[in-house]
Parts: sequence; C-alpha cells; structure tokens
Amino acid sequence: MLPRKKSPKKHTDSGAKRRFLLPTAFLLLSFLLMILPLEGLVSSVKAVLAYVFIPQVRLAHGTAKYAEDVSRTVRELLDTHRENRALKQEIEMTKLLASQAEAILDENGRLTEILQLKPAQRWHGVWAKVAYREPTQWNTVIIDKGSRAGIRERSAVISMEAGKEGLAGVVVEVTENTAKVLLVRDEDFSAAVYLERGQEEGLLVGSGMRPVRIKYIPLLTHVEKGDKVFTAATSSIFPAGILVGEVSGVRQDESFQTALTVNVEPQVHSAAVKEVFVILGNEDKK
Amino acid sequence: MWSFIKLVFLFILATIVHWAFASIFSYWGMSVNMILAFAAAFCTVLKPACGYPAAFICGLFLDFFGTKLFGNNAFTFTVAACVVYDLSSRFDFDAIPPQMVTVFGLTFFGGVLNTLLFWWFASTDMWPGFRSLLIGSVVTALFAPAVFGLVRIVMGKGSFSRQV
Repeated sequence: MLPRKKSPKKHTDSGAKRRFLLPTAFLLLSFLLMILPLEGLVSSVKAVLAYVFIPQVRLAHGTAKYAEDVSRTVRELLDTHRENRALKQEIEMTKLLASQAEAILDENGRLTEILQLKPAQRWHGVWAKVAYREPTQWNTVIIDKGSRAGIRERSAVISMEAGKEGLAGVVVEVTENTAKVLLVRDEDFSAAVYLERGQEEGLLVGSGMRPVRIKYIPLLTHVEKGDKVFTAATSSIFPAGILVGEVSGVRQDESFQTALTVNVEPQVHSAAVKEVFVILGNEDKK
Repeated sequence: MWSFIKLVFLFILATIVHWAFASIFSYWGMSVNMILAFAAAFCTVLKPACGYPAAFICGLFLDFFGTKLFGNNAFTFTVAACVVYDLSSRFDFDAIPPQMVTVFGLTFFGGVLNTLLFWWFASTDMWPGFRSLLIGSVVTALFAPAVFGLVRIVMGKGSFSRQV
C-alpha cells in the first residue's frame, strides 16, 4: 500500500480556509457596523458618503422621470401624427376649394365683363402687429407698420377672431413705421353696412362701452338676433363684404322712430385685436 | 488597474440603475433590487478576493441611505456573494435560467434577511410585504440576464465557474 501524498490536501485545506476567511471577515465587519451606534462619527461618515452619491441619485431620478414621461410623450406623438394626417386632408380639401374658387372667380370675371359691371377688387394688403395701446383710448391701437409698408389713412383694417376674419377698424393716422387704427367700438367710427337677410343698408356707429349700433335701417325691416352684418359696397372706405358682426338685438326705446336701430356684436372684439391685416388700395374708393 | 476602473464604472452604473428602477417600480409597490443583481453578476466574473469586497461595497452603498440601521445591506450582500460562489460550482452562470433563478432567490431571501436584521438589531418592522417582495424579485430576475451580460461585456471575462 502506497503512502498517501499529503501536499495536495494541504493546498486544498489552505484554499478552503481562505475562501472561508474572506466572507467571514466581511460578515463580521458588517455585523460590527450594525451594532455601532448611529450617532456621532458613523452618522457623519454616512452623511458625507451619501452626499458623494447624490449626483448618481439625481441622475437616476432624472432617468426615472424621463421613463415616466415616455408614455405621455408617445401618446402626444400619436395624437400629433393623427392631427397631422387630419390637417393634411384639410389642406387637400382647401386646395380643392381654392381651385374651385379660382374657376368661379374666372367665371365671375367673364360675366362681369359681359354685363359691363364694375369688377370687385381682390383684397391685398399687409399684416401688422399691435405694438401699443393707449391706456386712455382702449378702442385705438398703434400697429407696427406705416407708410413705408404702403399703409395710407382710411385704409380698412381686418383681424381674425375664433378662426373668422372680421372688420377691426380703420387707419386714422400714419407715420413712416406706425399707424393708428380706430377700432369698430370707438365713438368716432362709422361705416356703411348691410344686413345679410334682407340686404338693407344702414350706418354702423361705434359707441364706446355701449353696444355698436346700426342706424337708419328701414322701419319695417325684418331683423332677427344672429343676422350677419357686412360692409356695404356703398361705403366710401371699406371694401364690400367684410363681416362686421351679428345682430344682438333691436332697440325699442324710441317712440317716434322713423328707422330701426339695431345693436351689433362685433366679430372682432377690441381687446382681442393682436394682429391685423391692413387692406391696401381701397382708399381709391374715396 | 484597468479592471478596477471598469469595476468602478460598473458600480456607478449599478447605483444609477438601482435608483432608477427603485423609483419607477416603487410606483407599483414593487421592491426591486437591481444592485443585488449587479453584485451577483460581479461574483460570477471576479475571484472571491475581489467579488466579496465588491458585493460588500454594493451593500454598503445602500446602507448610506438607510436611517435606522447601518451595515444590514452589507451583511445581506456578503451572504449573497457566499451563495453565488457556492452555487458557481453547480450552476452554469453562462446560461440565462440559472442567472434568473439565482437573482430571484437572492432578491427574495435578501429581503427576508434584511427584515430579520432590522427586527433583531433595530426592533423595527421593515417587511415590504410578500406580494411586493415576490413581484420585485420576479422583475429583478427578469432584468438579471441583461445585467449579467453587461458585466460580462465590460469586464471581458468568462464566468467564475469557467475560471475555476
């Protein structure tokens, strides 16, 4: 019987001991940490090391926040895609309508020529922004374009509200780079208008804080609330067909009236005027 | 030296991933423990002389943010390292199922051990709830293969069992 070699066993034993010692040391160390009081030095060391790790914690929270926002962002992206498709369809429809309108305009031009009527002019002009409002004159605004942009006194001004264009006012003063616009509500404002229902004409006058009125409507005219009001072709300043507003009521306070006075809710409210379109060329009407 | 830098980089990444996952999954009441998965992965690629300190420091990192007890996570992570080194002779950590099973078990029993340590040393009940711990362990186990893969890629070594 051969004697057993002892050296490999020794080697295995020392390896096993090492493997056993290392975790035991760490377990003992952590055990010691657990029984240490949390005040004083331990607390200070903890605070310092926790402070060292703060950037990582912040980065982690930022990542988590980003991940939380992903679902919302994806939802918004899908909504935007859907909206984009709808808008593209709308653009296609608008193009179709524009081409139809072009054909109708051509036809209208031919008929106007045959009937020897004065042709209606297309609106052209410039967009401007409201630069300033006079605190004492709320119904007057200063726009950021003037004579250099082709704006003249008595130029008609329209604006958009709730997706519809409407009469905003008239230019009353012009400098090189600015122009003063008198808005529809101003007491000095007036314009020839007609009611869409019966085509009766009257004179639209502003009245400050009180409702805008149309004077001199024939007495027996049938007027209803909601009837649309447009600028008349007989106006010396405004091109025909600009929406002014809707009838909000008929005044009944004059006993011996010879004409109706109608209250109008303007399409464009003074406070909402931010950007305006100044129609150029219509001063020729005067 | 280069291996040490890579290990530090992985440790920093582990802390970020841990807090990020903790923040996200705490919303659903799940107690995931990603840093434990990293510690287990470290132990599969490092020799015990490096693996135990790495696991200990990972645990200590969590202890810095504790208020009632200090060293409990270091203890739990050292025990977890012992388990991984013990299993490495029987499990092939190159395969995904052993990685997931090990991390699931470590996360769950780590949670139980932590609760016991709190109860023993701080007389505080820190039981996260069975459902929270179980689902948290499952979630941690699901991400374990990615963690193990990442550690393998960065450290550029085979599994510990292969080294042995």
